[in-house]
Amino acid sequence: MKTDPTNSLFSSYPQKTELFDEVFEKDGSTKAIYEKLLCLYGEHSIMDYVNLNNKAKSSFFNQGITFQVYDKEKTQEKIFPFDLFPRIIDTDEWDIIESGAIQRSRALNLFLQDIYHDKKIIKDKVVPLELLSSSANYLHQMMDVNPPGGIYNHISGTDIIKHSDGNYYVLEDNIRCPSGVSYVICNRTALKRALFGVFNHYNAYTVTDYAENLLQILESVKPHGVDNPNCVVITPGMFNSAYYEHSYLAKAMGVELVEGRDLFVENNFVYMKTINGPEKVDVIYRRIDDAFLDPLEFRPDSTLGVPGLFAAYQKGNVCLANAPGTGVADDKAVYTYMPDIIKYYLGEDPILNNVHTYHCSRPNELKYVLENVDKLVVKPVDEAGGYGISIGNKLSKAEIKQVQEQVKKEPRKYVAQSILSLSVHPTYIDEKESFEQRHIDLRTFTLLGKDSEFVLRGGLTRVALQEGNLIVNSSQGGGSKDTWVLKKDE
Amino acid sequence: MLARVANNLFWMGRYIERSEHIARYLNVNYFSSLDAPNELSQSRQFVLRSFLFMIGEPEIDPEKVLEEEKVLFNIGLDPDSYYSIINNVKAARENANGARDLISTELYEAINKFYHFVLNYNPEYFVKKGLYDYSMNVMERTAILRGKIRGTLLHDEVYSIIMLGVNIERATQIIRIINAKYHDALLAQGSYGDKMGNSFEWSTLLKCAESYDMMRRFYRKTPNIICTLEFLVLNGTCPRSVMNSMNQVSKHLHELDLDKNPKKNSSAFLAGKLRSEIEFMNVEDIEQDVKLFIQRILEQLYNISKRMEEEFFKY
Repeated sequence: MKTDPTNSLFSSYPQKTELFDEVFEKDGSTKAIYEKLLCLYGEHSIMDYVNLNNKAKSSFFNQGITFQVYDKEKTQEKIFPFDLFPRIIDTDEWDIIESGAIQRSRALNLFLQDIYHDKKIIKDKVVPLELLSSSANYLHQMMDVNPPGGIYNHISGTDIIKHSDGNYYVLEDNIRCPSGVSYVICNRTALKRALFGVFNHYNAYTVTDYAENLLQILESVKPHGVDNPNCVVITPGMFNSAYYEHSYLAKAMGVELVEGRDLFVENNFVYMKTINGPEKVDVIYRRIDDAFLDPLEFRPDSTLGVPGLFAAYQKGNVCLANAPGTGVADDKAVYTYMPDIIKYYLGEDPILNNVHTYHCSRPNELKYVLENVDKLVVKPVDEAGGYGISIGNKLSKAEIKQVQEQVKKEPRKYVAQSILSLSVHPTYIDEKESFEQRHIDLRTFTLLGKDSEFVLRGGLTRVALQEGNLIVNSSQGGGSKDTWVLKKDE
Repeated sequence: MLARVANNLFWMGRYIERSEHIARYLNVNYFSSLDAPNELSQSRQFVLRSFLFMIGEPEIDPEKVLEEEKVLFNIGLDPDSYYSIINNVKAARENANGARDLISTELYEAINKFYHFVLNYNPEYFVKKGLYDYSMNVMERTAILRGKIRGTLLHDEVYSIIMLGVNIERATQIIRIINAKYHDALLAQGSYGDKMGNSFEWSTLLKCAESYDMMRRFYRKTPNIICTLEFLVLNGTCPRSVMNSMNQVSKHLHELDLDKNPKKNSSAFLAGKLRSEIEFMNVEDIEQDVKLFIQRILEQLYNISKRMEEEFFKY
């Protein structure tokens, strides 16, 4: 179907045909899966849409789903930018994403189990020893610790993009404290409030079942000898930028949201201080970083953690999700070995593609990287949140030189990948009051429990709101979209 | 429930209740003074001094001329005065934040909207023309909050802790309002018969406690000191009375199961003691020495709250 020229929402949509648009074909016609949606949105004028958009924004604002921006005079509350035009993923593509995400999570779990025990994968020379020995996130304290249920990465966030070749690629794995799942649910709520009519026309999976699945997963990894585990969520506190998410998850699971100061350890058991006295805690979904978990074992200046928590964990009296020390497996250097790691532990080919990666620690690859900085994305291996990334074709000569020197100085710190062309999606741009193409990615959420697994059917589609920008992290000014995974037609 | 979170809920209840009483005090006194029957009650200075007395910062210098806009800003919207309505609402929201996983989305959203309402209220407009609008809004929004507390939360320990905060604060505020209006009545005595007993200020006092109409229905006469005090302190059917608040406190302590064999000087013991005292009190006992009564009861309420913090909210 050709887009209707009277369709005011999209009539002036500036389509760059060199980009991979998920909604429109190169000739301007609409892809089949979006046809109905476009018709429905076509019933709205730009003014209607502006209205709805404002309503959705105030719904976020009133619910207090905000983050703080600090400037000189006073702190301001802002909402995360949210786009009312959803992204749709069909069943077949989703099956690939889902099975691929589970495969990666399982492989990463086996990898962690191995490197904190026998280190077979290193003895078999599949990955080099430096990968661990030079990693800041490798915790020697975790050697020979057996986490309850044998699970390390209970919650994994896998960042996936759709490349211009139409295939999905994994950009990175996040298995420390991946965040964002509450926005998946908020986005859905906001979209339903604003445009309830459109849902009747599509058969999409719900996203509200995440919390109950998370609770099941947490209960499945209860310590030995516990019948009805007492689960809690631990947060750094209400000034943390993800506090909304922590409180949402605790509320949705119906468990307590605790801070470090609410807990104490006695005889290697963990208790929380309630109005009726101490109450034993068995499973902790922790949203504080390894370094702050326990001042006796890690950073001694941490006031967020609980003294003695790690000893209780080592004794198997409490379960931490995710396990401490998982950070070693999600850094960008390990990422480059993922196809080998999957094959080694599972004997399977990777379902989701890895982006081809050059290791600056290898002399011949370093040489290639230095000569081709302008064609590559160069990233530090251990930074999160999109910091320190340089994108070759956006750099000036002087900047290229700077990157070359940085990489030469500390080759282990950097990897490089070919520049991927992330797909684009029509996104409403406030200042222009119209839709434009913006690059997007997808964060999926995978849960791994004792003998069970779950992938949230949806995930967080993140949008790079600046034109041409490829970095979608919210700390870099990214927005998000509701993501619909369609059920198979019966 | 976590002790820290219980503390948050308790104070959330207190701050919501407190902001409401301050708003109503401003509203009722300001607007009823406009057509008050005697000159003193009509005077701006009299009303402004009454405001400051009620929030606990009385102006001591009898000669000082207060500026209306300054006093209104100070009590309504000044972020730097700890007792201002805006700071009470901020504190209520902050405490709600700390217990956000336990309260309903609906309640949180209502508190959050309330917070943004006071935060964005134009101070200039408020001191010149906005007193009625602002104080009415604060009162209505607190009523919504009470509805959300009762209608959207489980009536379990979370609810009981909030209601403990609400009722202790309500009893405290009612006593403070009685104190302030008693003080006003001493200054602006009536013009016929028993000048103190028939002061115009008793009607204002009842309106400050949103109890004027029901008092008329109950006694079928113009309020005087005796029936006003009796109604606001001793009448258990009046929802704003100290008696009713203490009944609620005892009920919720019971529901929390914290009153089993109350130890001497535990909060359950102290609350039970105060409740019984009021139950078997005559209005004549109060009227003999109102000041002393007020002082004693405020002390007792303060001690109950303090004991609660020591017993349950320590973390």
